[in-house]
Amino acid sequence: MASGRTWHDRHVGYLFLLPATLMLAAVLVFPALITLKLSLTPEGGSGWTLTLAHYQKAFRDPVLFQTFKNTFAFVAWSLVGHFVLGLGLAMALNQTLPGQTFFRLVALIPWTIPDVVAGIIFRWALNPIHGCLNPLLRLVFPSFPAEFQWLSNPTLAFPSLIFANVWRGYPLVMVMLLAGLMAIPRELYEAAEMDGASRVKRFWHVTLPGLSTIILIALALDMVWEFRRFALVLTMTGGGPGTLTEVLSTLVYKTYFQFFTFEYASAMAILMSLVLFILSLPYIILVGRER
Amino acid sequence: MSPHVPGSIQRERRLEAGISYTLLTLSVVFALLPVAWMLSTSFKTEAEAFSLPIHWIPQRPTSEAYVEMWTLKPFGTYFQNSIVVSGVTALLSTVLGALAGYGFSRFRFRGQTSLLAFFLATQMISGVLVIGPYFRVLAALELYNTLTGLIIAYVTICLPFAAWMSKGYFDSIPKELDEAGLVDGASRLQIFLRIIWPIAVPGTVSTLLFAFLLAWQDLLWALCLISIDEKRTVTLGVAFTVGEFIIKWPMLTAASLIGSLPTIILYLFLQRFYVEGLARGAVKG
Repeated sequence: MASGRTWHDRHVGYLFLLPATLMLAAVLVFPALITLKLSLTPEGGSGWTLTLAHYQKAFRDPVLFQTFKNTFAFVAWSLVGHFVLGLGLAMALNQTLPGQTFFRLVALIPWTIPDVVAGIIFRWALNPIHGCLNPLLRLVFPSFPAEFQWLSNPTLAFPSLIFANVWRGYPLVMVMLLAGLMAIPRELYEAAEMDGASRVKRFWHVTLPGLSTIILIALALDMVWEFRRFALVLTMTGGGPGTLTEVLSTLVYKTYFQFFTFEYASAMAILMSLVLFILSLPYIILVGRER
Repeated sequence: MSPHVPGSIQRERRLEAGISYTLLTLSVVFALLPVAWMLSTSFKTEAEAFSLPIHWIPQRPTSEAYVEMWTLKPFGTYFQNSIVVSGVTALLSTVLGALAGYGFSRFRFRGQTSLLAFFLATQMISGVLVIGPYFRVLAALELYNTLTGLIIAYVTICLPFAAWMSKGYFDSIPKELDEAGLVDGASRLQIFLRIIWPIAVPGTVSTLLFAFLLAWQDLLWALCLISIDEKRTVTLGVAFTVGEFIIKWPMLTAASLIGSLPTIILYLFLQRFYVEGLARGAVKG
């Protein structure tokens, strides 16, 4: 009887997973395979004559190369910003202070703003003449130039974009880290405090070890999301000036729907996904092992 | 505070609180300034938005921009489309995700690790990887320019994460509850529907909310799968307001604000669920 139930149970487990698995196979895996095939098809060709021409072209494409570099920088700096801001605020919010609920509520607001809107706000705020950033900076530093250009400046456009993305994305990392902090038992801190451990020591020996798994998960998920970031870039800079702020998702989108070279766009998308997959492999293995 | 706590520790605590308040106050300014600037511009006339020096508080506040945006473009329709698409996507992903999450959380079976890795890997798939085929397949199925097509696409973004959040949430519910149900002779489905899911309401609400927000905020799919005005979503409507005219900032900020309002309101009402659900679901994952 008991073994009978186990046998039965195992099959029930499959049944629970079936709908979602089928759905994902249909809406995600199947189209991904079509993309793979398209990326191997000669331009305008059909059937099963396959070619590696698009990949060869991709490896010699300076724009694609630069866009890969841009995307890495965009993701890396966004992650640094999200992490520093997220951890700082999470630690500040993890104390029992009056007004804590208010602060937590406000700190999460940027996350409720759609990407499209975040891009628009920052484009407007960074407007050299009518935006609010330059006057604010002149308030603090009176010698700041009046009509300072941000988004049309080749060196500053990219940092500006990253700044906007840090604003948009820190709350999610913060919430996850906050949840992690709340899970660290108070007694650990109290014991360390009684042992005379300094603040810095407590941070290194209690906080960080207690958070390490969550930090990894939060950064891995954030990396995936920032790698795919699209609307913010499109509305804030559109990839410009030139292709200086182009990221992979906007480049693939443009190659599909503005240049209509579907086969080449597919090859780019496959390369992009491959890189993202390799980057997130440690996370998949880590979480898989946790079970 | 206990009288045995030495003065140095008390001083340290006060210092800690001071640092925290400074940091939190700065964070409020950082988080709200861009939103305040959007709000302020949306209540200005076109002339005031372009007058110098800039004003944070409109000198002659007017709702002109809101009226203009609503009459110049069919934002009512955009809203309806966004609500339908995001709502159905959220429901569909949450239900399928909860079933899968429960399956992962409560059963041991062959191939489980591979299946889990598959679900994780689907989270890594970027929209642009499948957007080309979608465009073609949906056109072939006559689903291009339909809300149904958009819903199918949004499930690709929301379902992997919904399954993942649900699994984490169910993991935090004691298995003894299931076993009690089994002893009473209930089937696994009954246990799931009558015992476990009702306990998981906060997790379910946060998954719904998360999926709704993801769908609402998307631009990429709507941009690629919708080309006619009457099927546009709010974000698409806002994005096209940027492109079509010389930018009318009061109108654009008004549209942006109205487009963000549903997610802001949802979040303010449900933030307790949201934080708790995400904390238990995603972090435990």
